[in-house]
Amino acid sequence: MSTEIAHIRNFCIVAHIDHGKSTLADRMLEVTHTVDARQMRAQYLDKMDLERERGITIKAQAVRLLHEGYELNLIDTPGHVDFTYEVSRSLEACEGAVLLVDAAQGLEAQTLANYHLARDAGLVIVPAINKIDLPAAEPQRRTQELASLLDCDPADILLVSAKTGEGVDELLEAVIERVPAPTGDAAAPLQALIFDSAFDAYRGVITYVRVQQGVLPSYAKVKMFATEVVSDAEESGVMAPEATPVDALGPGEVGYLVTGLKDVHHAKVGDTITLAGKGGAAEPLPGYREPRPMVWSGLFPSEGGDYSELREALDKLKLSDSALVYEPEVSQALGFGYRVGFLGLLHMDIVRERLEREFGLELISTAPNVEFHVFKADTEMVVHNPAEMPPGGDYDRVEEPVVFATIISPSEYLGAVFELCQARRGEMVEMTYLTPERVEVHYVLPLAEIVFDFFDQLKSRTRGYASLDYEPWGYQESKLVRVDVLLHGEPVDAFSSVVHRDKAFEYGKKMTERLKELIPRQLFDVAVQASIGSKIIARETVKAKRKDVLAKCYGGDITRKRKLLEGQKKGKERMRRVGKVDVPQDAFIAALRVDDKAAKK
Amino acid sequence: MAEPTAAGIYVHVPFCLTRCGYCDFNAYAGMDELKPRYLSALLREAAMSSPGWAGTPFVSAFLGGGTPTTMRVEDLADLLAHLRSSFDLADDAEVSIEANPDTVDEASLRAIREAGYDRLSMGAQSFDPAVLAALERIHQPSSVRAAFGAARDAGYANVNLDLIYGAEGETLESWELTVRETVALAPEHVSAYALTIEPATPLGRAVAGGATPEPDPDLQAEMFMLACDLLRDAGYRHYEISNWARPGFECRHNLGYWERRPYVGLGAGAHAYRDDVRWWNVRPPEQYLSMVEAGDLPIGGSESLDPSDAYLEEVFLRLRILEGVPASWFEEARYGPFIETGLLEDELGQLVPTERGMLLLNELVLGLTA
Repeated sequence: MSTEIAHIRNFCIVAHIDHGKSTLADRMLEVTHTVDARQMRAQYLDKMDLERERGITIKAQAVRLLHEGYELNLIDTPGHVDFTYEVSRSLEACEGAVLLVDAAQGLEAQTLANYHLARDAGLVIVPAINKIDLPAAEPQRRTQELASLLDCDPADILLVSAKTGEGVDELLEAVIERVPAPTGDAAAPLQALIFDSAFDAYRGVITYVRVQQGVLPSYAKVKMFATEVVSDAEESGVMAPEATPVDALGPGEVGYLVTGLKDVHHAKVGDTITLAGKGGAAEPLPGYREPRPMVWSGLFPSEGGDYSELREALDKLKLSDSALVYEPEVSQALGFGYRVGFLGLLHMDIVRERLEREFGLELISTAPNVEFHVFKADTEMVVHNPAEMPPGGDYDRVEEPVVFATIISPSEYLGAVFELCQARRGEMVEMTYLTPERVEVHYVLPLAEIVFDFFDQLKSRTRGYASLDYEPWGYQESKLVRVDVLLHGEPVDAFSSVVHRDKAFEYGKKMTERLKELIPRQLFDVAVQASIGSKIIARETVKAKRKDVLAKCYGGDITRKRKLLEGQKKGKERMRRVGKVDVPQDAFIAALRVDDKAAKK
Repeated sequence: MAEPTAAGIYVHVPFCLTRCGYCDFNAYAGMDELKPRYLSALLREAAMSSPGWAGTPFVSAFLGGGTPTTMRVEDLADLLAHLRSSFDLADDAEVSIEANPDTVDEASLRAIREAGYDRLSMGAQSFDPAVLAALERIHQPSSVRAAFGAARDAGYANVNLDLIYGAEGETLESWELTVRETVALAPEHVSAYALTIEPATPLGRAVAGGATPEPDPDLQAEMFMLACDLLRDAGYRHYEISNWARPGFECRHNLGYWERRPYVGLGAGAHAYRDDVRWWNVRPPEQYLSMVEAGDLPIGGSESLDPSDAYLEEVFLRLRILEGVPASWFEEARYGPFIETGLLEDELGQLVPTERGMLLLNELVLGLTA
């Protein structure tokens, strides 16, 4: 309790991606001498290599800046739709938010989504226009836009250049002036909100906390409300910006706690820490939610890869990623693997990349799918794998997750946006002209449609000008069917997909045509079919091969011919058998990958 | 079938007038100045390697290339005389020489025959000028007819014509014409090879780069079946996948490869084989020359076949020739389905591929030996 509570300011920066949030944070560290210029490296707060490369922040963190007698806790929030819940918990730890807008780009979907989240969390908004040093900057215009969004005086909007440092001092002043100090009773039972947690190989689980009331000492027996796990905490401290131990964290303060736990699942984001035993609080803070995977995909070791290595890697990754869930899956096409649940597409990419990079695995992943709720009479079944979806007619109804999407687009592309959203089964909720040239559109869209190349389509149809944000919006009933792909009458589980009835034919046709090209000719005609239940909706034929022989075997060089045969033999041994049909694993990978490629167009 | 010990001599002549786009043999154009040294080296290599073959009866010699008939006739005579003095080559041995139509006339062929080369194998390839052009062959159909007539006039009674099918632009009709023209000349032996794209050739690169289409395997299969029909009707016996002969004119030398009989190889890149060991000479002519001239055997590599290699070779080579493989070598579950689907026939306990089966020989071999 080094600082008087009236001299504490807890704030975050919210912005659309690439609007300069991390650069501004860096500059604040420098201006306040928290990090000297010599040690400064770009995006100081983004710890993981992967984050630095992708230029996005995955793990929220808090750093303490000391400035003119004030303790400013800058809480970094994740900047991606996958992490909406984590964002909400970080906002919960703050009293104010700097809303940062690119002076050239103007308002974008994430700007609005984050603004609404921050406002709904009751934060004081400190609006700022960034990148005023850019030649394309239009600070006047952006100020007008932002003022009309916030319904505030344009004079209250600060102009900064995080790059040059111009205006950063004034921004810090504004934070001190406008953001209220936290409140909280030091004598009350401890309630500390976990807004992030991480796994350190040496120190175990480290949580980032905001103390709401009471005092969190170092060396305390603490309890996690949600998991009811008790442990001996080893150290509390603040990030300044390196971890610096303190005697205790008082009300309103933000810092870290080395929990003494070994499993990150015991200290989940959103949970409340209190003292174990009599001094503990009776109730947790409100708003805790279990992490909920939104997107699922089958992960399998590629050819020759080891299933147990994948399991070990997932087990290890799970220690530092509390949102990661997985269950074993056996595919006759791809062998043993896992059905893995992710918060969203970015989370999926990150996990896959970490598995490949940090654990050296080569993976095959199936096309991502969402979670379906299947109802029959009084029972509800949750399906994570399309192959497990009951056949049509075997249930009363199916529900799929939908999202509330915010799209901001130049008005000239509005038609293209409507067209895309309609084609993706979207329902428009409302539309607002932010300016005569820029429109904000809200749609409720099935998540399954977003998962399938929606963002890329939106970008390409609006020449990159539209932006998208979305948040989960519950489940809704939908006319979904399972489409199977059959080879010579045998279904190939990896290609089963749950799609809207109106799109089943299109999917079936696409997959059968693609597989026709990928499946090597066999000694007999192979039917490649797509079906809904027993009804065939598309069919292609891989004609029987007629010629496979080494023409000339002569001149005495038998060695080479034998080697060719041996190569062919090895290739055959590596093939997977689907019924009577030999399929090289490459064909599965290609069939699954083309999907990806098509998605990136 | 010849005695299992009856051996063959292969001599490689790497010189050609031009290099054809599809060819991946060890052959070179524009190296003519090496010919005198090359002949000397062949004679020297024969002398060096012959002691190792003492006591082995040889029943055939084969001068292949390249284009052996680009050598001087005196040199060819000299070479064969040396082979006879170095190896135990039977008096009635089959002695083949390869020729291209444009490199021979009646006089040269008569001289070659008199030198002891009694079997002539001519690279006709096609009777369609467009196909010859696609193959980058320099001769015309008329030169094939002329050279064939010259061979007959020179006294050749055992002539093979080599054909290639499936080149770019070749249709089934064009191929039929080629086979019919071949049959009309009535050679004793016909070899017909499906054009195979080898990556390390100009044609291979053209295909890889998309400039030339890959041969259509289904069309090549049709062409094969057509050749089978026409040649059968004309009285030829289909004794190896790509080879037909009038009875008694099967190529004894090539049968030696397929029957896994021993052979010695002389010249750049030539292969030799005996008792499950195969070895081969260095390929580049210059390197071959310098090694032989330094008194070294020009061996570039070797391999010893372990029992599984030997077994695989035995199966795939025997299936190529009409003899086939004994059914007793395999479980019935392995070959039964192939008989049911008409790819194999069980002829008194020998499994012999049908014509359809020949086209799918790799599948048969892999299915039987898996």
